[in-house]
Amino acid sequence: MTQETSDEALCRRVGARDEAAFEVLVARYQGRAYRLAWSLLRNAEDARDVSQEAFLRVYRTAAGFRGDARFSTWFYRILVNLCLDHRRRGRWWQRLLMRPDEAGEPEAPSLERQPAPPFDPGDVLGREQTLARLWAAVDRLSPQQRAAIVLHAQEELPTSQIAEVLKCSEATVRVHLHRAVSSLRKLVRQD
Amino acid sequence: MHPDTELTAFVAGALAPAERARVAAHLESCADCRQAVEESRAVLARLAAGGPVPPPIDWGRYGADLRARVQSAGRRSWWVRPMPAVLAAGAVTAVLLLALHGLDRRPVELAAVEETMLGARLPLLQQYRVVERLDLLEDLDAIRHLDRLGNAGR
Repeated sequence: MTQETSDEALCRRVGARDEAAFEVLVARYQGRAYRLAWSLLRNAEDARDVSQEAFLRVYRTAAGFRGDARFSTWFYRILVNLCLDHRRRGRWWQRLLMRPDEAGEPEAPSLERQPAPPFDPGDVLGREQTLARLWAAVDRLSPQQRAAIVLHAQEELPTSQIAEVLKCSEATVRVHLHRAVSSLRKLVRQD
Repeated sequence: MHPDTELTAFVAGALAPAERARVAAHLESCADCRQAVEESRAVLARLAAGGPVPPPIDWGRYGADLRARVQSAGRRSWWVRPMPAVLAAGAVTAVLLLALHGLDRRPVELAAVEETMLGARLPLLQQYRVVERLDLLEDLDAIRHLDRLGNAGR
């Protein structure tokens, strides 16, 4: 088994319970998996747990990997679905544990309904602050929009692959991206 | 009409050549859309340039924990693994034999007990009219108290 062995070939070996192949796949993807999970969940412990769960799913279900899609697409789909499920479950618990006066609030107010944050043009760290605000705004996007923008901007996936990961049409991905970028543009406009 | 949704796809390089040409033609004559494209480009470029870095992680521990989870999942699901055909057939045969043997023996044992008890009490039973109700013979508790039943009947 060499470093040139394709992800798909490794996955087929994992399906035959080749643990060495599994180790190679984990080593190839663990950094990306943790980073992507963290980008979507913004909690290190959750990102660690969910990314490990994604690898566990790969190990269990690799025998069913048909190979008609790229391994990366299949893996990202497992991981993103786990992240979205995790957030859904988290929201349910958060609502339950919230104080009554907080319970009526959504998880995060929609960016479109928020006033533009104050911006100090004289701040020497303005550019970094804009970037921080930009990513903070990404956190407030809807889960689907956030997943689409992170997969595109951070993981550099083309829209066709994002559509496979999110199990939707490419046109829907374009709409998610458009709405996400439209929401974020106002922050750039002030820079 | 402004090609709103297509503008982001245009920047993201997600349009087919024909769509791309149509949007490009529109941009030449629309300052608003040109500004939207520039802003969208800036957003995507900044997001791609770098984002918040996740907290560092101990990859050695990560791998060890993952291996433990894989092994634990394997142990937990041992009973759902496909059983070898021979073993499965043997188990099914054993269960069937036990079931048939058990069904066959149980009535014999019960019948033997009942016969022994009834035989021992036959002289006594013959004295009671209540024994005409034969269904009572199936109730060993009733037989045990036939003396009292007989007295009550007199």
